[in-house]
Formats: sequence, structure tokens, C-alpha cells
Amino acid sequence: MPGRVQLFATCLGDLVFPDAVADAELLLREAGYDVEFPRSQVCCGQPAFNSGHRRAARRVARTFVRAFSREAPVVVPSGSCATMVAHYLPELAGVAPYDVWELSAFLAREPLAVLRRNEGRTLAYHDSCHMLRELGISEPPRRLLEASGATLVPLRRPDLCCGFGGTFSVRQPEISVAMADDKLTSAGETDALVTADPGCLMHLRGRAARAGGPPVVHIATALARGVTA
Amino acid sequence: MSHEIPQPAGRFREVARRKLADPHVQSAIDFSTQRLFDLRTAAWAGLEDVEALREQGREIRTRTIADLDRHLAAFTKAVEGRGGQVRFCRTAEEANTYVVDVCRRTGAKLVSKSKSMASEEIRLNDALEAAGVKPVETDLGEYILQLAGEHPVHIIAPAIEKTKEDVAELFSRVEGVPVEAELGALTRAARRQLRQVFLTADVGITGANFGVAETGSIVLVTNEGNARLSSALPRVHIAIMGMERVVPNLADLSVLLRLLGRSGTGQELTAYTTIITGPRREGEVDGPEELHVIILDNGRSNLIGTHYQEMLNCIRCGACLNVCPVYRKTAGEAYGPVYSGPMGAVLVPLVVGLSRAPSLPHASSLCGHCSDACPVKIPLHEYLLELRKDLVEQGVASRLERLGFTLWSYAWSHPWAYRLSTALARRGGPLAGRLGPGRAWALGRAIPRLGKRYRDR
Repeated sequence: MPGRVQLFATCLGDLVFPDAVADAELLLREAGYDVEFPRSQVCCGQPAFNSGHRRAARRVARTFVRAFSREAPVVVPSGSCATMVAHYLPELAGVAPYDVWELSAFLAREPLAVLRRNEGRTLAYHDSCHMLRELGISEPPRRLLEASGATLVPLRRPDLCCGFGGTFSVRQPEISVAMADDKLTSAGETDALVTADPGCLMHLRGRAARAGGPPVVHIATALARGVTA
Repeated sequence: MSHEIPQPAGRFREVARRKLADPHVQSAIDFSTQRLFDLRTAAWAGLEDVEALREQGREIRTRTIADLDRHLAAFTKAVEGRGGQVRFCRTAEEANTYVVDVCRRTGAKLVSKSKSMASEEIRLNDALEAAGVKPVETDLGEYILQLAGEHPVHIIAPAIEKTKEDVAELFSRVEGVPVEAELGALTRAARRQLRQVFLTADVGITGANFGVAETGSIVLVTNEGNARLSSALPRVHIAIMGMERVVPNLADLSVLLRLLGRSGTGQELTAYTTIITGPRREGEVDGPEELHVIILDNGRSNLIGTHYQEMLNCIRCGACLNVCPVYRKTAGEAYGPVYSGPMGAVLVPLVVGLSRAPSLPHASSLCGHCSDACPVKIPLHEYLLELRKDLVEQGVASRLERLGFTLWSYAWSHPWAYRLSTALARRGGPLAGRLGPGRAWALGRAIPRLGKRYRDR
């Protein structure tokens, strides 16, 4: 039953993809939730955590602990940040686990109330690795996209990483970019490649801007506004 | 582990760049890893309950490693009871010296070798050649690499970067006449060249996929039968086994064999599964007169009692290489001359020391596919994450990197400082592609534009 939720924009969402966060907020409101945006939120600490800098990560993760209450579920429009908060942040910051949800998994809990904004569109969905393998979420985003009227085309190897990998993208830029090329190529002639992770989005879109490829769209945007041809 | 090729920071990227620029290598790795991935996926799907079998495999390996000394003692006793000789070697040098001494004592000039990553690890061929003994690799992939003077790039498919044209050229050089680049012709040439080795070798050297403590048996898993010829025809057989490869009994072995074949090549069983128990006994017509088993430590015991102990559960199937999106782009050479892919990226730093292989924990996008593919459920990507933490805590990570993350963490530890620092970053936008990480990002990707923050709307 809808109620109150806390929206965690994530640093990439806040800084690079504010529209996608606004779209996530809209979807949650359309589904009947009261959306609260805790103003003091910053970041979950993942960039430092995945690079091995635990103290730095802890320092930043504490901003999350201070910002979010235990009164309402936390919803995140990012597979990897949801994984960080669900699997690693509690131990890192020494706190109890959160009731945290990746956006599409949260929306798919209730009978789907998604508007048919992608009627006639052909979309490919890219699984972000942490969301797929650590949270085990693969069906909900696909169900939502289909409920929005889109025809989903499977990628040749949906299990393969797009090459972002946080600091991996700048430590091994050549490999990272080659992986993005494979992913973009495998999407073929679709109207858009949709992902639920701002990291993958920034990487794939950045590569497509240089080397060509389909438009790369955040799932919140695809659902809230529809993919425009 | 004598990794002669050092793994300084930057080497991984340098080799990877070279491999990425070679379309022939790219298509060869893509083809081979895809094929092995498809075969494994199908083989796992054919099991009634793959998760239960993986759990059983993990339990067997964990239980064995937890009591490794006892199992190794039982194994040693059982091998000796069957007339074999066992030598525990702490280092590569000890193992090489032992092998060279056996060759000298028996007057050996020619050694027939079947595929053994442990022997690659100790650079046994170099030690033999220095002692005037000629080792010939008889696994087809290893033989090709030996002719080319190269190292394996995959733990179970060592020559996946080579095409049939490459092989034809190498074989022609041996024969002195052109060998056609056609699979039948190449197979016949390999057979011609290797058969003489099998028949005339004085000593046969193999690895050991497993050693069974209950029976004192060495277990060899191959698809070419070369291990069987190398272990049965020469007068002396030396098997080199990593100390972690012991299994308590045949029942446990059967579980691991079910996992190994399926995970490595998608086979229910490989074409040859050889269980060798002791040298030739009186009245038997086949088998060597002497059987020596080298149990190799070479840094493995560093892992015992640490958080990383489960890495010793590895059965060397290669499944993690085939699913790794980074390995699929670089193949093995970037990781070093012996172990590659996620298992190599974890094992090598633990064995040689992080400061000697600082790039390897970062040679991964942490996608987690390796952990899912591991038949004995080693948490490979979590180990990589832990190793990154060790890099920082042991001071191997650069000071600049540590300073960067520390400054960043202070700036982002308060909302006001976050707002200030990101406002500055926005103004510095045009510089982003020229400095530090931004510069690496800009190699092939557009720099994202920072618009109005969501929180400011």
C-alpha cells in the first residue's frame, strides 16, 4: 500500500542526471507515494569503497546515515548505489540494515500502474552488474518497460558488463571503452538502450556520443516520459 | 611463485592496449571464451541441481583445506605405501632441484611433459634446459607455445590466441617442409612430432588435477591422452601437484570431477580421466619404474589462516576467465605468464605480494560474474575488493590516489562542503578532460555536462 518513501538521488543522479531523478520522483508520485527528499544527503561512499579506501568511504557513507531515517523505505534510481546501501554500507558505517529498494524493483512490487508511454517503441534493457548479480533484479525493469508498451529486444549477452566499473573506467580506459563498444553494438537498431544505473548510463552515453550508437536512457526517464524516436 | 615477468603498475594496461589493437587476437579470444561459456552454460543446465552440487564442491574443498596438513600426511603415506616417493617442496627452486636431480640420477636427456600450470609457475622448463635436459610439451596448446617461445594465455586453453595459420608456420619450421594450415594436416603433424617424444622420453612429467589421500592416487584430466602417455611410457614419472589439490577420498573426488569437466569445457567427463596409483608393480606390463610426487607450496601456504583461504579451493577449471569481461578483452598475457583472469588477479598478488602485482586487483570491473561462475563458489570479486583495501592499507596504492580520496571524502562529508565542491567542479568543467581521471575518461568518451543539481530545483 502506497505511503511515504525517501528518495536517494545518488551523487551521479544529483550532479549529472537530475532529470532522471526528477523522473523517478514523478513515477513514485504517480504510483501514489509521498516522496520525501532528505536535504542533507550526499553519497553512499561507493567510489572510495570500491577502490579500497575504506576510511574515506566511511566518512562519506555517514552522510547517508545522518540523512535517512528508518521511518520509510529508501528508493534509489541506481542499481549499484542500492547494492552499496543494501550490502556494504551497514557494515562499513556500523549501522543496522536499511529498507532500501532499487527504483524498478520498488515500483514493480505493486500492480503495475505504468502509463503506456512507449507504445510502438523497440527497446533493449542493459542489466547493471550489481543490480543483476548482487540484488538479483532482472525481471522487474523488463516488466515495467513492457507494461509501458515497449517491445524488448534481448541483447546478445545481457550478462556482460558494459565496462563502467567505477574507477575501473579511468584506470583501464581502453578496456572499459572496448567493453562499451561491444554493449552498444549488441543493442543493434533499437530505439534506445535502457539502463537502471547512472554509472552505466554516463559511460555508455559518453561513448555513444563519441563513437555512435543508440540513445542511452535511464529507466526512470523511459517510463516517465517515454523514449522519443 | 617465480613470476619472472614483473607486474609493475601500468604493465596490465600496456599489454591490454596491445591486445586491443590486434583484431586477430580479439576475434580469437571472443570466439574461444564464447564457446567455452556456451558449453559450460549448457552443461550446468543439464545438471538436476547445479547449486546443490556447487555447494557440495565448496564444502569438500573448504573442509579439506581447513585440515590440509592431515590430508597431505595421509596422501603422502598412501603414495609411499604404493611404492611412490613424495617430496614436499616449499619453493620453486626446491622443486626444480628435485626434478633435475631425478633426471641426473636416471641419466635422462629427454622429458615428455604434459600440461601443468604448476610447472609453468616454477619455470621448470628453464631449469631442465639449464641442466642439459630437453623438455618437450605434449599438450597440443602447450607444444605450440613452446615452439613459439610464449607462455599460456588461458589456464585450460593455453594457445587460444593462435590461429591454424600460426600453428602451420610453427609446425613447418619443425618439419623443414610446409605443413598445410588445415586441422587434419596439423593434427597429423603434431602426432608425427610428438609420438617420437612419447616413445623415447626418459622421464615423464605431469601435473596433478587432484591427489586422493585415501588411495594415494594422482588424478589427471585431459582431452588428448598425452598425460596418459607421458605418465605410462617413460621409465620415471614425476607428478607436480599444488599442495591444495588433495581430496580426502574417491567419493569427494567424484563430486569435484563432475564440476571440473562441466565448468572447464562443458564436458560431463573429459576424454581421459586417469587415476594413477603407484608405479609399476611386479607382474604388471605397463607403468613407470619410479613414481615421484612433488607437493608444491611456492607461496600457497601464505593464504592459510587468512581471510583469503578459500582461494585455495580453486580447482583450475577456467570458468571465471571465460565469463570475465576484462579477460575477454585482454586474454592472459596482461595478467602475467601463468595465472590469468579473475582467479589469477586474486591468486598472484596473494602469492607474490601485492607490491609486486599492484595492478591486478584493479584489473576488474567488479561485475561479479566470476563469483557466479565459480563451481566451488569462491567469492572472487569480493576478494578483489578486499585486495584493493589491502593495497590502500599496506601503502601500495599511490600517495596521490590516497590524498585524492581523502580530500574528496572530507569535501563530501558535509552537505555544505559537497555543494561548494561541486559548484567549483562545475566551473572547472572545461578543464575536466585534461586532468587526472577526467583525462582518462575523455579517451573515447564525452565528459558529462554538470547541469543544475537535482537538489537545487
